[in-house]
Amino acid sequence: MIPGQDKELRLLDRASAEFAKKELRPAREENDKYPFGPFFDAVLEKAYSLDFFNLMLPEAQGGMGRGIQSLCVILYNLCQEDASLGGIIFTHAASQQVLLSAGAESLLKPTAADTAKTSLIAFPSFNNPGEVEPAVTAYKNSGGHLLSGSVEYLVLGGIAAKALIPARIEGKPGYSFFLTDLSHPGIQKSQPVLSLGLHACPAVDITLQKVNATLVGAEGGGDRYFNAMADQMHLAAAAMAAGIMKGSFKEAFDYCKAREQGGRKIINWSEMKMILADMALRVKCAEMMISRACLSADRREKGWEPCARAANLWVCAAACGLTTDGIQLLGGVGYMKDFGQEKRFRDAAQVQSLLGIARMKKIKFIEAMMR
Amino acid sequence: MISRREIKTHLNTPPRFDDMFLSLMAAPRLPKAMVKEIRRVVAIARKFNHSVVRPYALELDRKMQENPGFLPWDFVEKANEWGFYTMWIPKIFGGKGYSMPSLSYFMEEIGSACLAMANLIGVHYLGLASLSAAWNMKIMKRLCADVVDGEASRTPCLISLAITEPGAGTDVEEIELADRGNITCHAERVAGGYKLNGTKIFISNGHLSKWHIVIAYADLKKPSETTVSLAVKTGTPGFSFGRKERKMGQKGCPASELIFKDCFVPDELVLIDADQMSGFKRPVRESAMQMIHYVTAGTRAGVAAFAAGAARGAFEEALAFASQTRVEDKLLINHEWAQCLLAEMYKNYALSRLSYIESNYANGLYGSFRELQKKPMYYYYKLTPAGWLRKMFSSLMEKPAMTRIYRKMQMDGQTDAEILRTSGWGSLAKFAATDLGIKNCHLALEMMGQAGLRQDRRVEKILRDAKLLQIYEGTNQLNRLNLFNCLIAPDYPQAVVFDE
Ligand SMILES: Cc1cc2nc3c(=O)[nH]c(=O)nc-3n(C[C@H](O)[C@H](O)[C@H](O)COP(=O)(O)OP(=O)(O)OC[C@H]3O[C@@H](n4cnc5c(N)ncnc54)[C@H](O)[C@@H]3O)c2cc1C
Repeated sequence: MIPGQDKELRLLDRASAEFAKKELRPAREENDKYPFGPFFDAVLEKAYSLDFFNLMLPEAQGGMGRGIQSLCVILYNLCQEDASLGGIIFTHAASQQVLLSAGAESLLKPTAADTAKTSLIAFPSFNNPGEVEPAVTAYKNSGGHLLSGSVEYLVLGGIAAKALIPARIEGKPGYSFFLTDLSHPGIQKSQPVLSLGLHACPAVDITLQKVNATLVGAEGGGDRYFNAMADQMHLAAAAMAAGIMKGSFKEAFDYCKAREQGGRKIINWSEMKMILADMALRVKCAEMMISRACLSADRREKGWEPCARAANLWVCAAACGLTTDGIQLLGGVGYMKDFGQEKRFRDAAQVQSLLGIARMKKIKFIEAMMR
Repeated sequence: MISRREIKTHLNTPPRFDDMFLSLMAAPRLPKAMVKEIRRVVAIARKFNHSVVRPYALELDRKMQENPGFLPWDFVEKANEWGFYTMWIPKIFGGKGYSMPSLSYFMEEIGSACLAMANLIGVHYLGLASLSAAWNMKIMKRLCADVVDGEASRTPCLISLAITEPGAGTDVEEIELADRGNITCHAERVAGGYKLNGTKIFISNGHLSKWHIVIAYADLKKPSETTVSLAVKTGTPGFSFGRKERKMGQKGCPASELIFKDCFVPDELVLIDADQMSGFKRPVRESAMQMIHYVTAGTRAGVAAFAAGAARGAFEEALAFASQTRVEDKLLINHEWAQCLLAEMYKNYALSRLSYIESNYANGLYGSFRELQKKPMYYYYKLTPAGWLRKMFSSLMEKPAMTRIYRKMQMDGQTDAEILRTSGWGSLAKFAATDLGIKNCHLALEMMGQAGLRQDRRVEKILRDAKLLQIYEGTNQLNRLNLFNCLIAPDYPQAVVFDE
């Protein structure tokens, strides 16, 4: 990512890169054992104290008031080493963005006493509720709404205090978002769902029975808020994928310079150079594409939304291919846990599904152009 | 219109007819009963999938994530009970004598349900293929008898192949590279046998196997001319297991480190060495490469069959998802784009299958399957009661003359063109099918969104498992180069491989 001349952005760039190297890289393999190993609470709290979680929240709400570029720079750096923390930040930011686009910022004021765990908002960030209908129904009652039904793959549902849940209001078209307290006795949570990637950004399935919830924004406004959030957050997902790509390329490049086969460094076999060149090209293109799209988004240039979505679609697909090669260049060791390559391969495929079914995102992209 | 000579000339001009139309040449020669046999094998595999593999595959994967030290003896015992470790051992050695091509169809079936479990069965046959490549009939008889006994006594006896070393993976798969590489597994000639020193890594089923076919070298400066193939039993003094790798996928199948420290292997367990190879018509170096071609031409088709299974498994999960899930208020299976994507995935797995079948045809016509696939031989072995066969051949197998005859037939009987054709097709099948396997997993994930990410929906496991197929049995890069070497370069004398 290209942080440009913005001083604050450069600081964020450096801070997040250092954090990734110091806090994430050494324990990457350990942290990835979750749910069969401990959760990395301490790292999460440290990241929270560095304000990685409230970057895009307006200053009036106690955030840093930065644009999408700042979030992307941070995610890009973190995900080079370990994308799980990136997944947590992404999910929380997605919840915040939905609340902001719904004009519900009053629900979002972090306090000095907050910790990551008390302020995180769980969100089904791999699903677009406009595509796969929510299985939760909201019923009006005197104090607000009661939710009943089930949510699959609620990201952070096992560790956060609150959740943003899409639900259909009985008898009304479309869907709406509701904020609810996850400690409500009507909520049953599953064990963490064993998943492909981002193991330390866990999800659970939940069932709700008459759970009190606060409507966010207008009734039936869910799709509108989701799309407003997604326009920006597509770039954040792309930045995660690009970080994973960069990490995979760097690891492969270093390995190929050190490993010998056939009496020479394997980087000197021209087929290896060819694959490495393809990887490097994709990394560069991803960096440029996201940087430009971020600029466009933060300046609200005309047509910034399709740029953001195009960047997401291209970069996430490229990351899946690139990380496959990233393992391949290391041969057998690339398949093992000792290097980060296998994790990046899994994480890239996981990130591609953020915000919904990858193929449906393509359909949406062209349909938006048709309008 | 065209003379016989012209026909011969035109068909021998590249691309050669014989390199291209293997199925056409093979189909009329196939014993009819083989089709019935393959149908039976596929049905057995499906029954096994239904009663053993599917109910346990996800649980085993989860168990291994929770406790990487676990060894899946429970599954191996089940496979042993079902007779899978002797099913493809020839009847003269006490096995059930199913034809070798039927193994690939079996592997696709099991692979479509769980690649780790397919490997727990299939790698045993990689060991057996390496054992048989030396055509040392006496040792083959001994090891096969152990496997057969293991089935009868319900104490599974598996065979692994150990060739990869920490410093040499690609280099030990290609003789051209071996002498330039960093090979360290040393077999020193001593009175009465060899003294083995060195380490082998990533050995599938290592911790579970009773016998290991270990490839070592008498002169580390000249590995290509001093290859030694040894049978080493678990428990032999000087041989121990090291670490068990923590892999991304195929978690149910251990990959082991094998450590040899002054491990004495007596002559009666030396499968072949340079002295014995010097009796072949080709120079030792070429014979060593021929043995690699001989084994990998068959086993790479086997990996392609695993991959066809992976491609199919991913397709089946995506199809199930599409037929049950409503997207934008319509079943996904009724979105046109989804129909085209499913068709693409179907095509990918069908092409994977065709690639291994074609490669098997090459082996049936020109390679390791040739002998037992000739109609008279096939029916003779099929119809003669196993007891008679064993009685007839048992003492013969002990005679060094048998080893000599078989080696003459198998090794010297193969022409250079046949070696290249079988090996080239093995590589083609391997990298084509394994790339398509990964492709289908990615396509399934693109269609399934968050459902595809969950271990309980299987696709994510298939992706993790399938990635290995692009790496072992030679990386797909090495296999591309081997295809070039075998099927393209021979017509271009100016082409040199591994020497840029
Ligand atoms: C889980 C697992 C199970 C396995 N099971 C077995 C087993 O049962 N028995 C066994 O003996 N082995 C086994 N292997 C080893 C496997 O066959 C090797 O990993 C494989 O051959 C690659 O070797 P390597 O890992 O040393 O990679 P390397 O040879 O170091 O290759 C690294 C990279 O360099 C490339 N490369 C190397 N040389 C060249 C060249 N000349 N030109 C172009 N590119 C080149 C490769 O394609 C690869 O991309 C297993 C491996 C794994 C991961």
